[in-house]
Amino acid sequence: MDDADAEFEYDRDILGVEFEVGQATITKEHIARYCAAVGETNPLYLDDAAAAEGPYGAIIAPPSMLSGLLMEPRPDPDVRFGNTSYAAGTKFEYYEPVRAGDTIHVSALVKEVYAKTGRSGTMVFAVYQSRYRNQRDEPVAFEEFARVFRQA
Amino acid sequence: MDQRYFEDVEPGDEIETPWDATPEAVAEFMATRRLASGLPEIEDGPERVRPGFERPIVPGSMSLAVLSRLVTDWMGSRGRLRSISASYRRPVYRDDQLRALALVTDTEKQAEGGGLVKLDVYIENERGERPLQGVAVVELPLRP
Repeated sequence: MDDADAEFEYDRDILGVEFEVGQATITKEHIARYCAAVGETNPLYLDDAAAAEGPYGAIIAPPSMLSGLLMEPRPDPDVRFGNTSYAAGTKFEYYEPVRAGDTIHVSALVKEVYAKTGRSGTMVFAVYQSRYRNQRDEPVAFEEFARVFRQA
Repeated sequence: MDQRYFEDVEPGDEIETPWDATPEAVAEFMATRRLASGLPEIEDGPERVRPGFERPIVPGSMSLAVLSRLVTDWMGSRGRLRSISASYRRPVYRDDQLRALALVTDTEKQAEGGGLVKLDVYIENERGERPLQGVAVVELPLRP
């Protein structure tokens, strides 16, 4: 359950403020290296001829590639709690496919920061939302990501 | 790649694939992250042991990518991954013997063709722990 009494500090002014955090042009080379790293062999991502006959008519990127894009750091709520932090959870919703050659623009905001106290002690969660759009301003994906801060 | 059709799927169907999260694969995953955006890598190197962890861990986004691969390989080229979520319950340690698994939990035919399939997805290590658990929703075509 939420722990309203837990002691932690963060920058409340940043809540809900959307920032542009970067853009990335997704090339065939980038897709191929990503596929090699995660063991993707789907011809929709790697084979021009097979992709041309597929539902998208050309090579697309694996949906999960968006989660692997490195952008400028997300907006920082400057949580001051504990001595370590790590990913707690994420959810992606996918809309338009990312085609080779697309440029993806990413914006992000901090949705909320809250504490929970359980058997392992108090943890502070920061929840971020990111929107991914292509160069035609079509929505490509939406992500909600949570990071946990705790005392190791 | 075989096409999966909505009529062929039932709750209880299971799929799985082994995953070898080698140092080389983790390093390559992290390297690919900076290719498109042209930014320098800013996260930990693959050899660093972060506070609170026993060994180097696998990035959460890489574990999510492997779960996505499991589902997209299974659904075929005309399927669509609508959404995927994961809770990171424990660290995924590099060099653990890992499997990515999925279990069909629900199916729902859509009014305008095709059907939605919900799957529980998870990563399991050799100790029987499931450090990542989540849900994927895919859209499958109807059989012609």
